[in-house]
Amino acid sequence: MPNPSTLENLLALVLILPLLSAVVSFVIPQRYSWVASITSSIFLVACAIVSFVLFFSDGNVFINAHWFSISTTELNFSLVLDSSSRLMIIVVSVVSLLVHVYSTGYMAYDPKLTRYFGMLGFFTFSMLGIVLSNQLILTFMFWELMGFSSYLLIGHWMEKPAAAKAAHKAFLFNRIGDAFMLVGILIIFVHQSIPIDSFWLTTGVLCIFCGIIGKSAQLPLSFWLPDAMEGPTPVSALLHAATMVAAGVFLLIRISSLLTETALIVIAITGISTAVFGALCALNQFDIKKILAYSTISQLGLMITAIGLGAKDAALLHLFTHAFFKAGLFLASGSVIHALSHQTTDQNKVDIQDIRNLGGLRKKLPITFIVFCITAASLSGIPLFSGFLSKDSILTAAWTLPNPSAQWIFSLLIALVSFITVLYSYRMIRFVFFGKESTLTIHEAPSVMRVPMIICAIASCWFIVSFNPIHVSGWFYTMFAEAETNFVAAGLSTVTVFIALIVATLLYSKQASAKSITFFQNGFGVDSFYQKTIGPAVLALASGATKTDKKVLDGILHFVAYAHVSFAHGIAWFDQYIIDGVVDTSGRVVKWIGSITRSFQAGKIQLYIFWAVTGLIIFLFFALI
Amino acid sequence: MEHALILGVILFTAGLMTVITKRNAIMVLIGIELMLNAANLNLIVFNQNSPGLSGRFFALFVIVVAVCEAAVGLAIVLRVYKYYQTSEPDQINELKD
Amino acid sequence: MSLLTLYVFECLAGVAALSILFVRNVFHAALLLIVCLISLAGVFVIYNAEFIAVTQILVYAGGVLVLIIFGIMLSSRLAGKPLQVKSQYVLPASLIGIFSATSLIQLFYKQQFFQQPVAKAGNPITQTGIALMSDFVLPFEVVGLLLLIALLGAAVTASSFYTKKQ
Repeated sequence: MPNPSTLENLLALVLILPLLSAVVSFVIPQRYSWVASITSSIFLVACAIVSFVLFFSDGNVFINAHWFSISTTELNFSLVLDSSSRLMIIVVSVVSLLVHVYSTGYMAYDPKLTRYFGMLGFFTFSMLGIVLSNQLILTFMFWELMGFSSYLLIGHWMEKPAAAKAAHKAFLFNRIGDAFMLVGILIIFVHQSIPIDSFWLTTGVLCIFCGIIGKSAQLPLSFWLPDAMEGPTPVSALLHAATMVAAGVFLLIRISSLLTETALIVIAITGISTAVFGALCALNQFDIKKILAYSTISQLGLMITAIGLGAKDAALLHLFTHAFFKAGLFLASGSVIHALSHQTTDQNKVDIQDIRNLGGLRKKLPITFIVFCITAASLSGIPLFSGFLSKDSILTAAWTLPNPSAQWIFSLLIALVSFITVLYSYRMIRFVFFGKESTLTIHEAPSVMRVPMIICAIASCWFIVSFNPIHVSGWFYTMFAEAETNFVAAGLSTVTVFIALIVATLLYSKQASAKSITFFQNGFGVDSFYQKTIGPAVLALASGATKTDKKVLDGILHFVAYAHVSFAHGIAWFDQYIIDGVVDTSGRVVKWIGSITRSFQAGKIQLYIFWAVTGLIIFLFFALI
Repeated sequence: MEHALILGVILFTAGLMTVITKRNAIMVLIGIELMLNAANLNLIVFNQNSPGLSGRFFALFVIVVAVCEAAVGLAIVLRVYKYYQTSEPDQINELKD
Repeated sequence: MSLLTLYVFECLAGVAALSILFVRNVFHAALLLIVCLISLAGVFVIYNAEFIAVTQILVYAGGVLVLIIFGIMLSSRLAGKPLQVKSQYVLPASLIGIFSATSLIQLFYKQQFFQQPVAKAGNPITQTGIALMSDFVLPFEVVGLLLLIALLGAAVTASSFYTKKQ
């Protein structure tokens, strides 16, 4: 077992390796861009190995370095490795490694390969920073770096207008949340030095929660995530399924000690409504990646709900399992898209991501089919898969609530979400892999893509989490003792799942049942509502601000400037006529006196005589008197 | 009181005013002659009451000096007139500066 | 008779002298000067200074006036126009004149230096000649020398000989 100082070095190493990968990728010239895919994969392998070493170490590891100080308050660059971050670095580094390897195949021949791998490395670095950070301001810094890299990765194919627009949308939605988040962090930061009352604590925590809403695509701000599917599919797997969107959940777990009663209620309600909303929307989508996106929203809502119900370990468990099975789903759908993308050049403009255009791929893509089935089963919460265990613990948390009405409401809603999850998972498999076979010549993905998919599928099985397929009892149980399973809840969820399967089989057995409710398909119309109301409102506000700026502020400025100018003119006048006048007048007076004096010496003889005689007369006058 | 003295005062004053006011060098000389004659008159008048003849001789010498003055003065006037093309004394102010 | 003649001469001299102030023409002024000087010569005669009177007439009327008239002719020839003399400083000069006249007259009135006239014995002309050659011989000679020098200087100054040479 390594000693503590070695652990600290390893901790720093796990953070630096992805950054190195990014730097190396950016340095590699464009001509040899294929090198970047290999070097970054190697770096990530190293990173994953270090993560495993750290995972199996004991005790909490801290790194503290002085960062900067504001007056007396010192800010430290502090990292921590505790049980939850141990789990997270495994998730992040392993999924990132899988995505890197997968991208080697998926993104081959992409013209901007170095940039892609650079940003992947940079993203991994910032995500690991969030996971390891022991300080809210440092977290916020990594949080913003992650938003930046996410923006670049979503907009990787920026020549596509939809991709550029989606990147903008994701960035702006995150900005809204992050602005609140900064406020909240500053409130909590004050709280560290001065104890504040519960109102301000609630306000601060809820402000941070706003940032989490933005990043984890919770209800008011969830609409960037479906649009973000315009990015490359591995990016979707890494950022929008496994890690980035889960960062919000992780942060909420980190600050769970600060959560007040009110905050918990708000969080729980937000989470469960997002979960139901996401599930309903996913059921009515046709785009394979959008189904997965809405499914992610729904699952993230479940995690948030679990935190709101006080079961943060259940949330963490679901986060862990979800990372792998959702990444597996995305990778498998990416494999489908990859296999079909060669056909789009032959056929004219067939949307290969639309599940209605797919079908019968079971025979042609057997490995993808198996992976898809396993991961979808895990998503649906079918026993023997990891999803069952994690969902079960969330349901247990709801079931064991002290308040009976809350207990029933939350339990039923979570059961409803699981029910719908089964429906859309079945629908997806039914449309993509069964049905009439297409006549296209399709080939299975290369092995660099198959291996990550298979690893994800294996990680979606029960034995990764627990040796008991229906009860959490493995290493996770020893690390997080609170994650318990209630057998009533387990039974309830099992029953729900099997009923749902039956319903789904009945619903989607026929071929052409590809119907959907447009209202749900468009995400309850909230997005268009935003575009119709908030967009014009913001534009009107901006134009109003422009007008105010031009008319009022510029007017004041101009007025001040004119006032200055006229004042200066006044001073110039004063200077020219009063001060110069005084000087000139004194000069003229002197000159005048001088000229008078001079006139006595003007060379006029008769005047000389006159003055001489005048003097004489004056003498005479005095002599006489 | 001799009234001749009043004549002397009149002559002197007239000469003085001529010297000051007239804008011609010859007129200035005429004024000087008048003033000298006023002095002569006074010398003659006062000699009336003194036993000696010194007053008269002084008058005589004054006349001679007046002649000299007139001669030299007129010569200078002509010379100046040739040089400056004017006989106004006030305009001949080369030594002013 | 003598007193009346004195008055006539005195008035003539005073009027001529005052007229000089008011005439514009230099030539007229010179003529008025002649009148004034001859009248003064008359006054001198009445005051028993015959020799001075004769000298006055000879020197002034014969010498100085000829000089002045020559001067007038020469300068008017150069100007090429009749010599109209303008006046200047009239007011200050008048003030000066009035002041000086009044103060001199007041001075004469205040002093009491007139006793009765001393009677002079003998022929005045003879006495004058004897005095000139005895008591006043040095001033006489000096004045003669002065006259000579002055005339020479005047001739040299007025001549254009040196001017042309330069």
